[in-house]
Parts: sequence; C-alpha cells; structure tokens
Amino acid sequence: MDGADSKGVLNQLSVLEVRARSRNTQPQQQCCVKELRAKAEALKIQRDQLEAEAQIHKVLHKLRMSMEKQCPHEEEEAMDEESENTQLLQLMARHTQLKDLLYAHHVIGGYDVIKTPQSKGVCMSLTTAYEGIYLDTYNLEIDLKHKLTITRHNIPPFIPLKDLAKQSNMQTNIRAFLDTLSLHLNAFTGRKQQLKFVKEQHQSITVMESNVLCSRLVLMFTVPRGKNAVLCRLDYTDHTRCLPTGVQFVCEDEELLDSPEWKKNCSLLKETPVHKALTTMKKNGSIV
Amino acid sequence: MSQENPEEVKVLEAQIECLQAESLSFIHLHRLYMCGQRQEEGEKVLSKLMEEVEKLEEDLERQTQMNRISLKSCTTKTLQSSGSKLVQQLSVSGHCSEMAFQVEFKLSENKVIHFIRRITDLNVVMDASDLQTFSSFLSEVEESRDLLLFFRTLRTFSDRSDDRCRTFQHFQAKYPSVVSLPGGCRSEFLWFSIISAALQLFPSQAVGGAAESFQSLLRILGPEAALESVIRAVSLSQDTQLASHLLV
Repeated sequence: MDGADSKGVLNQLSVLEVRARSRNTQPQQQCCVKELRAKAEALKIQRDQLEAEAQIHKVLHKLRMSMEKQCPHEEEEAMDEESENTQLLQLMARHTQLKDLLYAHHVIGGYDVIKTPQSKGVCMSLTTAYEGIYLDTYNLEIDLKHKLTITRHNIPPFIPLKDLAKQSNMQTNIRAFLDTLSLHLNAFTGRKQQLKFVKEQHQSITVMESNVLCSRLVLMFTVPRGKNAVLCRLDYTDHTRCLPTGVQFVCEDEELLDSPEWKKNCSLLKETPVHKALTTMKKNGSIV
Repeated sequence: MSQENPEEVKVLEAQIECLQAESLSFIHLHRLYMCGQRQEEGEKVLSKLMEEVEKLEEDLERQTQMNRISLKSCTTKTLQSSGSKLVQQLSVSGHCSEMAFQVEFKLSENKVIHFIRRITDLNVVMDASDLQTFSSFLSEVEESRDLLLFFRTLRTFSDRSDDRCRTFQHFQAKYPSVVSLPGGCRSEFLWFSIISAALQLFPSQAVGGAAESFQSLLRILGPEAALESVIRAVSLSQDTQLASHLLV
C-alpha cells in the first residue's frame, strides 16, 4: 500500500513537471526561431560579402594568369574601362603573385634572406628536410660591413661552421658557403631522422651507441638461428651524406659473417638508408 | 518554419565555408580595394600598395640572386582545410641557369602535432632528354619526395654545367681547329670527347695504362693544363686519324 501511495505522489509530481515544461517550451521555441532567423540573415550578408570578394578574386586570378604568360598588352586592352581600378587591381595581382613566389622560394628550401632592421647585415635561414618531411631550420646573422662576419647563429657546435666558412671562401663566395653549410645540415638532420626511425620502427634492435653528429652508430641485432648477437658499426665519415662509408659486423660466429647473405647485408647497409635496410634484413630473415 | 531554419543555416554555413576557403587570402586585399575605390583614400591606398609591391619585388630579386633559382609561377590550391590540417597542391615553375623545371606536389601541414610539414606526390618535369645522368636522378627524387635535395642538386648541377661550358668555350677559342662542340657547350659529354681521344693517344706512345697516365697528368698539372697538354699533343701529332677523333 505504502509503495502504491508513494508511486501515486511521484506520478503526480512528474505530471506537474511535464506540464510546467510544456509551458516553457512555447516561448523557447519562438526565441529559437528568432535567433535562427537573425543568424541566417547575418550569414546571408556575410555570404554576399564573400561572393563580392570571390568576384575580385576571379578578376585577380585572370590578371595573374596573363602576368604569368607575360603578355601585358592583352590585359590592358581587356580592362581599359576603369583605368584607376585597373592599376589598383594590377598592383593587387602582382602583390599576391610576389607573395606566392616568395613562399615558393621558402618551400623549395631557398635561403630565406631578410635584411636586419639596421640594414648592416642580413639574416639567413637554412631549411632542412628528409624524404619530404621538413625538419629543423637554422639561422645565421651575417654582418656585411667590410668583412663578412657571422654575428649570431643557432647552428649546433659540432658542425664546423668556421672551417666551412674558410674552406668555401665565404668572404668572396657566400653562396658556395651556404651550399656547403646546407649540405652538412641536411645530411646531419637526415641521419638524425634515420636514427629516430630506427628507434621507432625496429624495437627488436638495440641502439648501443650514437654520437651527437649521428656520424657513428652501433646497433645490436639478434640472428634467428642460434640467437646469436651481431654488433653492427656504421661510420658516416662523409658528413655531407646520409649513407655510411663503413659497415662492420662483429659476431662470435665468424662463419656467419663470411656467408654471402651477410656480405649482401653489408652492401645493403652502405647503399640504403639504415632504417630501410633493416626492414629488408628482417624480411629476408637475417635478423629478428 | 522551425524546421526550415536549421536546414537553411546548415546550407549557408557550408556555402560560407566554401567561399572562405576560396578567398581567405584576398580578404584584406578586398578591403584595400574597397578603400581604394573611394576618392579621398584612393591615392593613399594606391601608394601604400605600390610601396609594398616594390619592397616585395626587392625581396624576390634578393631571393632569386641568392638561390640562383628564378621562379616564374607558383599556383596554390587548397585541397583540405579543417582545423589543424591544411593540405595544398602546389605547382612551381622556373629555371636555374638554362635548365627549366616544373614541380608539382602536395604540401600538408599539421599544426597540432609539432607543426609537421610534409611533401607527398612529388612530380618533377624537366626537359632532361639530353641529360641522361639527370633523368635517373629525377625518378629517385620523386620516389623519396626529396624536394629540397632536387633543388640543391639542380643548383650544383647547373653551376658545374656553367663551369664546363666556360672551360670548353675557352679551349675551343684557343684551339679552334682541334676542339669542337659536338653536343653543344652544355653537353655533359664534352669532357669525354676530349678524354677518349686522349686515352687513345697514350697507348700509342707506349706509356702504359692510358687512364692512369691521364690521371697522373691531372694530378701533376691540374685539369686545365692536363687537357691543354693533351690537345697540344693531338694537334702536333701527324696521325690524322687521332686528330679526327676530336672532331666527331
């Protein structure tokens, strides 16, 4: 009985609640419709604006196309109605074109040269990338007064900046210097990236040793048969490259290393980036 | 009504997103344009824009000079733009020294994960039909998507090509009767046309290994003097058959 009573009370309460809610929903809905209308109105205005902008975009695009084809006379003829606006539009088109070309120089790894505010020197950026992935960017501030001097930079200390500047005659040929430096930096970041891939992709392989320049790498493999361990030492003596110049294996089972299979592994490691060579070696069953 | 509205809003929002993606970079220019149309502000805007364009022209010239790469056009098309991810299709054309190129690739940026920028679908077009060593390099670059490597190599290659051209023209001017330009002054085989003759010359003098002899000449005299001595030997030689090798 008690249970039925309490149920009755609860029932009544919930009926009341439903009623109260339905009273509230009416004005809420109206409010919602109002809001949405206003929103739609605002969006329509925004759309019209954007359409107008898109229209200008189209005109500018046409202008740019004719600029790139390098036939300036044609475009003048086509748009002689409003000469002032044409001048403005042409400037705008050239503006966007120049911006895009400068962006392209940046993307293709050009040396971004920026004059420093005092204009006594320039700031240069060197981009590095490995297999399509952009890596670190390094910067140099060069004083151009009477003698070129590197005033500030964020190039790691193990890259022999001074030696490279001397070797490539930075004083007379700054471009040769930048080329050499870029080669060293790209090779360094490339080797670093390879080492990262080795650690990420080959967890069954232990990296026993590596140095900051990533010019020496000692790895430990396990051979499936007999579970022998093989130490592999890679020496990158040419610091402008991402491939090792020397590959050395050490294993208790010397016969194994004399086998044609391991001779092939040796040349594979010399010719292929290390993380890819290891994938091939795993696939061939040379290592675990 | 209450059902139509959300629908309309959705449609409008989608439309706006589309338009925004298309004209994102032009919004501030459009404002400039609107201001420019008003008489009183027109001149101010125009001169400001002119100033900006001049500065950009200067920047581009400096960049072209420093990079030795002259860009003719760059078109960008946004393929995807959602929150943190931006994917663009880029097409860049230009030339380096006398070698024209066009590269196309997708550039994707992820602003959330360490701001990663990545190149995919790299396609390089070059008129390298007469440059055999270069065409195999191009397919390697496409496979590894190494855009930066391509431009570094292109620069070095064209520098070397310019050097060769100068060297060859120098020798041709000095010995017009002996040295010819079979593949044009930019051919990558011009050294070989001289060296191969030299290699045939040395055995006849019974000096031993031909290649070694030329190598030792190179070591002792340097490339210019070594080549010069070979050319002299050829032009002094009474053996007309040997001299004819240089004129192929």
